[in-house]
Amino acid sequence: MRKKTFAAAALLAAATLSLSACGSGDDAKSPVSVVSEASDSGKAATILDQPFEKPDLVLTDTHGKKYDLRAETKGHPTLVYFGYTHCPDICPTTMSNIAVAKKALPKTEQNDLRVVFVTTDPARDTPAELGKWLKGIDPQFIGLTGDFATIQAGARSLGISIEPTTKDKNGKVVSVHGTQVIAFSPKTDGGYVLYGEDTTVDDYTKDLPKLVKGARP
Amino acid sequence: MRRTILPASALTGAAALTLALAGCGTDSGPAGPELSVSGAYMPQPVSADMAAGFLTITNKGGTRDRLTSVTSAVAGQVTMHSTVGGAMEEKTSFAVPAHGRLVFKSGGNHLMFERLKRKPEQGQRVTVKLTFARTGPLTVEMPVRSATYHPSTGN
Repeated sequence: MRKKTFAAAALLAAATLSLSACGSGDDAKSPVSVVSEASDSGKAATILDQPFEKPDLVLTDTHGKKYDLRAETKGHPTLVYFGYTHCPDICPTTMSNIAVAKKALPKTEQNDLRVVFVTTDPARDTPAELGKWLKGIDPQFIGLTGDFATIQAGARSLGISIEPTTKDKNGKVVSVHGTQVIAFSPKTDGGYVLYGEDTTVDDYTKDLPKLVKGARP
Repeated sequence: MRRTILPASALTGAAALTLALAGCGTDSGPAGPELSVSGAYMPQPVSADMAAGFLTITNKGGTRDRLTSVTSAVAGQVTMHSTVGGAMEEKTSFAVPAHGRLVFKSGGNHLMFERLKRKPEQGQRVTVKLTFARTGPLTVEMPVRSATYHPSTGN
């Protein structure tokens, strides 16, 4: 029996050695990756090595006024999300998570932060509808609506895919929301951090103090 | 060597016991799905326009079942949806596999409460009736949680 144990141990050692030899023999040490924290699975934030440029979106806000995203948010920490108000699950949860996390910031930083909700369903989300919905979450949040093609192009420039509202086979109206929130730095105005839809209120509460300073969360 | 024989016979005994138990399960008792509901909650909605609901249906039985409708006194209509890549799709029914689970959770399958009679507030309970193809209906008292509630953290 002892002999068997030894043999097994020797085999295991040999296997380990050959495996590690394999690893060190490979010269390509840095894997090809767009994001630097992809392997850091414990974090909600995905930090982009190559930030997104802020989309050149000129839309209509909840007061019915023209809103130029680049001009209005320049130099401010900004979170952008694409969603719609007739959305029961992810859209209100995402916005509520940010709203609750925002309340933990000092007042001056709360006022500095721009949270922009761009509708993916402009036909139903009129300025008035958007305004009513956002008021129920956080009155400081900015809601934008306008031409769908313009909104879709803006989303696409951030790697977010949205489709126009359609009717399903039962005649029910179906809209699509984005799956990420993008944080733009107040220092560079670049979109440098992504948050997926699993991000919790605790994640945002932890990261917002860094995001408002343009720091890495 | 005797020592290796003993555990082996014990193992055989255990296997026989397992078989006997399995036999018991299918012979006696009602053959069919055995359903229970856990983890039900509704995040407090933004308005009385609509709300989402989440729960898990566990089937301990050896027969599959099917969730065919959901109703609630607080809503004019409750529909069932699956979510794929940010787009939701309404379903007329959902399978509850034998010895398996049907999970409604944020970001995935969800119940959608429409034409609400009032806006559900955190701390209240919403009564929901689940109807199945094989077994009798189940009534669930679904608590209304905060708008940011996440089952993994419990807040």
